[in-house]
This record gives sequence, C-alpha cells and structure tokens, in this order.
Amino acid sequence: MAAVTGTSVRPTAPPGLIGTRVNRVEDARLLAGRGRYVADVTLPRIKHAAFVRAWPSHARILSIDTTRARTLPGVVAALTAADLPPATLVDGNWIPGLAKTPQPVLARDKVRFVGEAVAIVVATSRYVAEDAAELVEVDYEQLPAVDHAGRRPSGHVPILDELPDDLIYDRGESFGNPDLMFRDAPHVFVKDLALARSMAAPLECRGTVASYDPAAGSLDVWCSTQSPHLLRRRLSAASGVAEHRVRVMMHDVGGGFGQKIAAHPEELAIALASCALGIPVKWIEDRRENLMAAPHARGQRVHLKLATDDDGRFLALRARIVGDAGAYSFNAASALIEPYITARVMTGVYRIDHYGYHVAAGLTNKSPVAPYRGVGFIAAQTARELLIDEAARSLGIDRFELRRRNMIRPDDFPYRSCTGLVFDSGSYLEALTTVERMSAYDDFRCEQEQARASGRFIGLGISPYVEPTGWGTEAMNQIGWHSFPSNDSARVSMDISGKVTISIGTPSQGQGIETTLAQISAEVLGIPLDDVVVSFTDSSSAPTSLAGTRASRAAVVSGGAVGLASQDLRERILKVAGALMETDASILTVADGVITDPSEDAASMTVAEVVQKAFQLTEIRSAEPEPNFTATRFYDPGATYGNACVGAVVEVDPQTGGVRVLRIVGAEDCGTVINQVVVEGQFIGGMAQGLGGALLERLAYDENGEILTTTFMDYLLPTSTEVPHFEVEHLESPSPYTWRGIKGVGESGTIGAPAAIAAAIADALAHTGSTVDRLPMLPEDVRAMVEQGEDRG
Amino acid sequence: MKPAPFGYLAPRSVDETLELMASHGDDAKVIAGGQSLGPLLNLRLATPAMVIDLNRILELAGISAHDGDGLTIGAMTRQHDAETSPAVAAACPLLAEALPYVAHRTIRNRGTIGGSLAHSDPAAELPAVVTAVRAEMVIRSRSGERTIPAEEFFLGYFTAALEPDELLVAVRVPAVPARTTSAWQEFATRSGDYAIVGVAAVIGLDGAGVVDRASIVCSGIADVPRQLSTAQSALVGQEPTSAVIAAAVAAQHTDPPADLVGSSSYRRHLVGVLAQRALEAATERQEGNDDRPTG
Ligand SMILES: Cc1cc2nc3c(=O)[nH]c(=O)nc-3n(C[C@H](O)[C@H](O)[C@H](O)COP(=O)(O)OP(=O)(O)OC[C@H]3O[C@@H](n4cnc5c(N)ncnc54)[C@H](O)[C@@H]3O)c2cc1C
Repeated sequence: MAAVTGTSVRPTAPPGLIGTRVNRVEDARLLAGRGRYVADVTLPRIKHAAFVRAWPSHARILSIDTTRARTLPGVVAALTAADLPPATLVDGNWIPGLAKTPQPVLARDKVRFVGEAVAIVVATSRYVAEDAAELVEVDYEQLPAVDHAGRRPSGHVPILDELPDDLIYDRGESFGNPDLMFRDAPHVFVKDLALARSMAAPLECRGTVASYDPAAGSLDVWCSTQSPHLLRRRLSAASGVAEHRVRVMMHDVGGGFGQKIAAHPEELAIALASCALGIPVKWIEDRRENLMAAPHARGQRVHLKLATDDDGRFLALRARIVGDAGAYSFNAASALIEPYITARVMTGVYRIDHYGYHVAAGLTNKSPVAPYRGVGFIAAQTARELLIDEAARSLGIDRFELRRRNMIRPDDFPYRSCTGLVFDSGSYLEALTTVERMSAYDDFRCEQEQARASGRFIGLGISPYVEPTGWGTEAMNQIGWHSFPSNDSARVSMDISGKVTISIGTPSQGQGIETTLAQISAEVLGIPLDDVVVSFTDSSSAPTSLAGTRASRAAVVSGGAVGLASQDLRERILKVAGALMETDASILTVADGVITDPSEDAASMTVAEVVQKAFQLTEIRSAEPEPNFTATRFYDPGATYGNACVGAVVEVDPQTGGVRVLRIVGAEDCGTVINQVVVEGQFIGGMAQGLGGALLERLAYDENGEILTTTFMDYLLPTSTEVPHFEVEHLESPSPYTWRGIKGVGESGTIGAPAAIAAAIADALAHTGSTVDRLPMLPEDVRAMVEQGEDRG
Repeated sequence: MKPAPFGYLAPRSVDETLELMASHGDDAKVIAGGQSLGPLLNLRLATPAMVIDLNRILELAGISAHDGDGLTIGAMTRQHDAETSPAVAAACPLLAEALPYVAHRTIRNRGTIGGSLAHSDPAAELPAVVTAVRAEMVIRSRSGERTIPAEEFFLGYFTAALEPDELLVAVRVPAVPARTTSAWQEFATRSGDYAIVGVAAVIGLDGAGVVDRASIVCSGIADVPRQLSTAQSALVGQEPTSAVIAAAVAAQHTDPPADLVGSSSYRRHLVGVLAQRALEAATERQEGNDDRPTG
C-alpha cells in the first residue's frame, strides 16, 4: 500500500504561507465527488456524438456510406469529411529540419492508424450514436502497415505521399570533440535501450461539448484540455468563427499528463459538427477510444556510448536515437518531442564536455505521439543511468562514487552543459548523498549478500537527475526550440469585500494549482488563504496562456505572474490605505487582512475597509486616481532547472521474473517549496506513474499495425497493490532567475523512477551478467535475463 | 463502450427462468454478477437480444454443507461469500485459497461462483479448482436436472457444456478424503489480474505416505483447465519429495498458447515453477494434517 513519509530540510522562507504545509483547497471538492467534468455539462437540445473509427491501420478510403446510419431512429446526422469544411491540424511550433504532416480532422482519402476518426454520428444518446456508428459502411483498400520507425514493410506505400521514406527528421549535432575523445579513450561502454510506446492514460478521458449559436455567430466549448487558449485558436481557425466569439470553458480536468496539451482532431470535429447542425454536441471519449486514438508517447530506441578514463571520469558520450512518431506529426512538434529532448538532455547531472547525437524520427501506422509527463527525459535518464551502472560494475568502482566523481559540483553554478543548458542552481551531490543515507546503502549491501545466500534477490537502483522546468522563452532557446511562446499572465482582482479572485490561462488537472497560487497571492497580499480563490479558466476572461498547463511550468510561470500581480495590488491597496490613514504608505504592514501603521500606536484598518472606502470616497483619487483593485502581470522567467535523486529497492523472483518494488526513496529539489503537500503529491504521483512505465505499461500492436491493448485489462496501470511505500525529503536550492526562486516539480518523479527501478532489477540480477535493455521490464523480460545468465553458465 | 440494445427480464424463480430461457433460446443471456458479461456487453462482444437477470432468484444463492459429505454451492453465491465461508474453508480449502486471487474484493462482492464457472474462461481460477477437486456441476432446464463432472463441463474458450436453455444451478464439491491436501499457486503481472498461469494441486497419501491421488490442474495454458496427467501418474506410488515432484513435473509436456502476456515457452516454464511450488505446498500441509499416518 502506498504511503508517504515526507520531511523538509533547510526551509528558506521565514514562516509565511509560501513554504507551509497546508491542505489542498481543491480536495474537499475532488474527494467528495463534487468535481465537475465535461461529462457533467448539459445544455438544452444537446445531442451526443460517437466517432466511426478506422479498423485498418493503413488503407485508402474507397467509399463511405452513411445511409443506413442516418435512417436509424434517434439519429440526427452522420457526417464525414465531405460534410464539414476542410480542416487540418498543424501548429506553428517548429524545429529546423522537422517535416510537419497535418492531420485532417476527419480522415478524407486515407486512414493512417487504427482508431483514426472517419465519421461522426450525432444522435439523441451516446447509445444510439454507437448503434448508428456500426451501420456506417466504409470500404477500404488495405495497405501494408509501417509498424516500426524506419522499417519498410514489403510492398511499402509511404504513409504520406510527400515523405517517401516516412522520415520526418534525421539530424545530429556534435559538441566538443567526441570523435577524438572516443578514439583515445581507455574504456568505452555501450548500451541499447528500447522504450515501448505507452501513454498518459488520464482517469478522465478526453471530452468536448460544443455549442454553436447561429444567431450570435458564437461558439461555446467546454473541453477537458490543458491549453484552453491554444484550443481557442485552433477552433477559430477550423470553424472560421473569429477568436473573440469562441469561448473555451473549463471546470475540473481529471488528469492530463500532456495528453491534453494539443488540440485534438476530435475536439475540432465536434465543434464543426455543432456549427453544421446548429445544436450543442457532446462527445465523451471512452477508454477504448482513448487507448487507441488519443496521443501515445515514448516509443524510442536509444543507443548510447560512454568513454571513460581508468578512474571512471566521463570523457565523452555519444547517442543514436530513433523515435516512433506515429501517423502524423501534427502538434507541438510532437513527433519529435520524445527523441529530440532525449538527445538534448542526455548529459544529465554530469560534467561531460564532448558529446554527439543523431536523431531520426519516422512515421508509423500508429496513433500520433504527443508529450507525456517526463517526455524525452525518461529515455535519456534510463539509458544513461543504466550505462553508468554497467560502467561502474566493469570498472570496479562503487556506483555512488562513480557518479560523485563526475557530477556537476555546487561551485560550478551556473553551469553550462555542452548542449547549452544553463543550470541555474541545484543540489546534485547533496541529493545523491541524501538518497545514499535514506536507502541505508551500506546496510543494504549486507542485506543483499545475506538474501542472495538464501536464494532471494534484492537490488537497489539510484537515479539522480536534472530537468528543465518552467520553460520560459530562455529555457526554450537553451533546448533549441525557438518558436514556442511559453509565458503567462495572471489577473489578481480584489472585490469590495476584500477577497481575491485569481484568473489564469493555466487550468488545473488536479495538481494543486488552486492551492499554491492562492498561497502565493495570500502571502504577498497579507490576507488569509481562505480569502483567495483561483477561478476556473474561461478563455474569454482569463489572461492568455498559449502554453497552458504543461512542462512543470505552472508554479514557476503562472506563479510568478500571480506573485507580481499581487505585489502590484498590494502597493495599490497600501497607497490608498496610506491616504486614508494619513501616513506614509511605505511604512505600513499588512498581515491577516489587517493593515497596521507601526508608528501611530499601531493604528489599523482592514484590507476590506480600505477597498470599500476607495470605492466610496472621491477624495482618495488625489492619491490614487484609478482605485480599481485588479492587477494583471505578464511573466516570462529565466531558465531554471529542478533536480532530484530517486532510489528504489526491488525484489526479483528469478523463477517467475516477478518484480516487487519494496521501497522508493527520493530527495527532490524544486527550489523554493510553496507547499510540501503539493510537491509530495506531484513527486510521488510521478514516481508511481514512472513505476508503471518501468514494469507494466506498454501499448502493443500486431504486425498489421492493429492495436492489441484496448482496455485496462491489457494496458496495465500501477494500482495501489503495486505502489510501494515512498519516503521523500525536500532540498531547496532557490533559482536566482525566477520569482521567489520557484522551480517546477510536475514531472520530476516520473523522470527519475523508471531508471531507479530498472537499475534495481539489474542490481538484483547482477550475478547473471545480464543487463536491462528495455522498458517496461515485464516479468517475462526479467525471466529472460535470468535465462541468459544460465545460458552463459 | 455502450451496449447494443437489449431487452431485460428479471424472473423471481428458477422455474420462471427456465421457461424464459426455453422461449428465448439463443437470443438470451443470463446475467449473474455481470463482472464478465457487463464488459462483454459494453464492448459489444456479446449482443444478446434479451438479458435475463438472475439476481432476484434467492434460491440460487447459498452454501449448504452435507455433514462431512462435501458442499453444495448455489450458482448465485457471491465469490466473496464463498471466500469467507467457514463451510468452504473446512470442506474445500482449495477453493477458499484460490478465491482471493479472483479479481479484486469489489468484483468478488458481485461476481458469482456460477458465473465464473459458466463463463468458462480457461484463465480463471475456479474452473481449475473445481476440476482439481473433482466437483460436479448441477444443471437444469425445463426438461429436468442433470449432473456432470467438472472435467466434462469446460469444452473450450468461453464454452461450457450448457445448452442455451440450461442453467447452472449449483456446484457440488465432494468431501476432502482423508490424508488429502491441496494448494493454489499462480503468477500474475499485477495482483488481481487474471494469472498468466495458475496451478491447483491436490495430493492424497496412503497410510505409508505414498501418493495415491494427485490432481494437478492449470489455468492459462489451454482452452480449458488443463490436467497435467503425465505428472499426476508419475507421482502416484511415490513419496512426494521435492526431487520426485521435480521429476514428475519435468516429465510433463505442455504446449501453451502465446499471447500478449506471455510466450508459449514462458508459460511452459511457469507451469514447471508453479506446479513444483503448489505440489510442495500441498505436501507440506500433510505435516499438519491430523490424518497423517504415523510411523
Ligand atoms: C477487473 C476484473 C478482473 C477480473 N479478474 C479475474 C481473475 O483474476 N480471475 C477470474 O477468474 N475472474 C476475473 N474476473 C471475472 C470475474 O471473476 C467474474 O465475476 C466472473 O468471471 C463471472 O462471474 P459473474 O457472476 O460476474 O458472471 P456474469 O458476468 O454475470 O456472467 C458471465 C457468463 O456466465 C453466464 N452465466 C452466469 N451465471 C450463469 C448460470 N448460473 N448458468 C448459466 N450461465 C451463467 C452469463 O450468461 C455470462 O455468459 C475479473 C473481472 C474484472 C472486471
């Protein structure tokens, strides 16, 4: 059963709301089943949609006949691409050398993966819509499936005519002089790692309600999305409804993990259907659709080479990475997001001056790839850390020691990695040492020996890492991604009762944003936490965030914007208070909603009184000509990098290949901690998700490109029985480049845990001489390691 | 994931049910706990015109012990009720041991003994268990009642020896003979999942400590619960030491199918590992058995 022990060391802030362990304000609603999701939205005259989805993975569409479907009682319409304005999805994001392949909203001439939407049926209920969907007759001419990036089947037909070899990217870059270093290196270690396709699998699948009002010419959309403003742009482009008349509204989102960043073809199709029919249309995705047709992730092969000297000093690194893009490369440079980030962060927390990589990404007849928590980092982290362990074993150097010898040191900050990432601050060595202590490493080694003697195999894996967080413009530039607007604005408004509403374009998917942003604002304003609410995002009123909630950024970027806006508001309130109290505003203090003048016998007024007077008394206007209590600020932080170290202990049953994770410990550093409860939720949830990637989750296809994992009976998520006890310690290295030193932590645990678990398996089975070469490590794969060892004698 | 349209009937007695089954024939499906049929309906893998709900038929639920002569478990007995029944623990410890491996607690609160057996999933625990303990299936239709041995009940993947108008009303478990012990072993990727391979083992010893009965039945390696008959024969007449068990298990040929969760050779390997563990566990339980021969 999962449990958590958390401790915090080195608090940087004096007691205040920032840095305080307060319960999450959204939990009362979410835990009591009072969350409101898209499925809860209902409107007069609403109708329900089901998609007709492709069953072949690669085929030409010869004809679509909707006659039978349309005549079924209860059916309002059955629409194909021919019935809707031509619309495709492709975004403005761009990396030099990347071929973009727009995805049609509904397949027109060809289908390119199982589950691609071919038609929409709209009916009085989802039941009837599904009945009718079965009656839509699509005639296909099947084509050979490309099931492996870069591998052509016999009779190969390109997935996209313009890309005869299916390749969307094929480039490399070199830093320092890796050729020379490898030529002269005393030791070279090599590692291959294959990561299966897996996916975010949010508890709430995707969903959209679209309501076009022909009279007003407006389009209202409720959607389970991470990026409402981005979606609004796409909806406007597809529908022709001007952006100010498109309104995207959100309530709760039941998890996103990246899957809901991009605008999806289905969301646009539903909006277009509503426009065509002039009625509200609702689509609530089911699990089978989500597993088949929602964006997938991972799907990479990494080949890595490490050169060291006799003391184990890392001389150079080389990587060759092949990414499986899926059938389209349509959003957020998604098809490349996995392998490209893998390449750019490969050197990790180590001083490596000579590095070269080559990345190839190819289309396959599978669902397109999109970001998923820990995108790209996981492949780099797991391949590199496994390789370091293998080098340590071979060189006879302890694993902690080898890492310590090569790690970026405290006095190296700011440290510029060879690929151009500038690490602002961090606790790399300290996190490693903390995990060494938490895992009682010396005792563990004895225990491991004793266990082995009695036929039990336990292992320990360690995984120290650094990750870009926040992702402002500067961080985007550092990673080599030049066209991604990653700034936020926030509006902080105080009403006449002295209470505050925060409006942001970065909606919550349950992470705790409502709590942390309220903490920031309440601390800056000096009012109780309960006096601040973060409103649900409505694109027509929220300040624009073109990035939305993703990439461990909301606390850093939205948090900074909220902090700055709250500072502005505080100044304005104190200015008015100064006028009212006839004193110099700069000496006033504010705490718990009360403004005090320390000079005048501690004369005081409440914040609410100040605001009320400002509305009533015209005299105030000589001091503050525009006494409105709303402040909006824009924020684009400097590049900042969080770090952590995860340690995992597993027991392997060598006979069955079963792996039990006994314990996971972690030391995390996300700079200034706003709220330990929220950080631990993110870190531990991430580690649990990482456990899934390490041991359970993979999307399987057969050789015809047909997906085999279409229910949760086949796609295995970690459950409470697989997730172990977690222990977490907090380290705090505030960033010099962000508001109050905040760094992100949203993806952290997901990045670190797979490598730690994989390395623990390798450690448990070190005596076999076998290595971990894939993720997930299913029981049969673990058993194969044992058998390979037996075969070697 | 919405079912195709179907009609719904909720009879209150077995007789009424049998009438309905006879008149609807192939077009109808009975629903018990719905833990397998529910998903099949939602995925439209089953599209019956009529669903006949057994949940209001009280006479189908319940466990009766026959005074040292075994048990009768009504088809609508919830899996969790059987799992926690002292009568089951006493008269069929193998069933009590295997039940916690069936799915999760909440599913066992709804899922029924009869539903799991009638569903005839070769990966399920209960078909292997009832085969190993040589239970009998009690089947009724409008034309009467018949009883067949478990061994003859499971015909293939999701196919039981039931005509469309026949209802499984109960399973009859014989008393555990003297000096007979059992064990269940399985391996699943996650707890609560269908096992990749499961093994039910029953060992009976004669007065001299020599095996006079061995049942070894596997889930997950064929289209029906598969008895390891070569290994069974190899054990009979021997003292069940680890080495003897290992030799018997090694002599067994199996040819499991491959699928997403395991290749044929991995499954074959697991049969060996789990059969060894189950037989050793069953043998160890002889130690604490009062009926153990002395000397
Ligand atoms: C997440 C999950 C995990 C699971 N894991 C396992 C597992 O590990 N092991 C396992 O064994 N099972 C597992 N199951 C299946 C579960 O145990 C079911 O309860 C069981 O298989 C069927 O019992 P039921 O009463 O729900 O039958 P239903 O689903 O109602 O019926 C199943 C079939 O049997 C027929 N039927 C039911 N009762 C009768 C009767 N009296 N006479 C004739 N026909 C009848 C129905 O028509 C139907 O075809 C799992 C289910 C889920 C949802």
